[in-house]
Amino acid sequence: MKRMWVTIAAAGLVGVLLLVLAKSFGTNPRAVPFMMAGQPAPAFVVKNLQNGQRVSMEDFKGRPLVINFWASWCGPCKTEHPYLEWGARQFGDQVQFIGVIFEDTEENAQRYLSQHGTSFPQMLDPLSRMAVDYGCSGVPETYFVDANGIIVDKHLGPIDPQALTAQVRNLLARGNPQAANTGGAK
Amino acid sequence: MIAGLLLSLLLSQTQHAPQFAGSQPLEPALEARAQALGKQLRCAVCQGLSISDSPASMARAQLDTVRALVTEGKTDQEIKDYFVARYGDWALLAPPAHGFNWVVWLGPLAMVLIGVAFIALMFKKGSPTAPVAETAPAPPADDTDDPYLKAVRAELKR
Repeated sequence: MKRMWVTIAAAGLVGVLLLVLAKSFGTNPRAVPFMMAGQPAPAFVVKNLQNGQRVSMEDFKGRPLVINFWASWCGPCKTEHPYLEWGARQFGDQVQFIGVIFEDTEENAQRYLSQHGTSFPQMLDPLSRMAVDYGCSGVPETYFVDANGIIVDKHLGPIDPQALTAQVRNLLARGNPQAANTGGAK
Repeated sequence: MIAGLLLSLLLSQTQHAPQFAGSQPLEPALEARAQALGKQLRCAVCQGLSISDSPASMARAQLDTVRALVTEGKTDQEIKDYFVARYGDWALLAPPAHGFNWVVWLGPLAMVLIGVAFIALMFKKGSPTAPVAETAPAPPADDTDDPYLKAVRAELKR
């Protein structure tokens, strides 16, 4: 009888350990969950770095958005900058590209952009409220918001032209299936 | 010297950037509340550090948001819910006791109970009160038929 209970307890213990392994094995415990997918993009009010004007989400209503969070002190942000510039030139007539400066000063961001150039609006988010509102977990991060204001996906780390093209096409397909077929690289 | 230069280079390239944005502490009572809440929230780019304890820029941004929410008059639960809505239960350093998280809460307790039961079982098995002395000693095995033992004894007699 005693032996049976020991066996049951051991089997129960092994069962629980297997459950933990099945649930967690193969997942990255450091990966930050992305809970904002499929959620309405949080409204924002930020300042345009180039002209000092107040900019809100309402200003882009009805347009798909590509929102890139970056900082001048962030090495990988420098890597992706040319690709975002390329993306803004390729898709800028169908998708609105927005840069949001994260935990940085206006002077550093201005200096960085004067050196590297920018063809799309860059916003100041002084206390990073917009970044946290969007569930940002570091920079660079790029969010894709469809024309209905729903966050479709985000790209962690420096983006490359292939990923950018795929994400933009996905955005366009959600708003207008025909546009997705013609909205590739010109 | 070289280590210092490497560290400077590393700090300038990672998320641990120098503080640029102006995060200001709140008045003492509100700041204490923000810090206490920050101790319960996990920094998004650190390994097990709270946003109050981490020097990372992301933690600074998150703590600034906690300050803003405290200033807006949000309750502690509303502030925690805000972070859970964005980062999941992962954002909480103490996982809430529901669903699969029960394994985390009850697992260690179950392990202790199993350990105590095992030790108790071992003690009971090897207890000095057991009638060890009263048992009759086992009779010596009859080895007269063992051919190997016979051979050894014969060798010894030579």
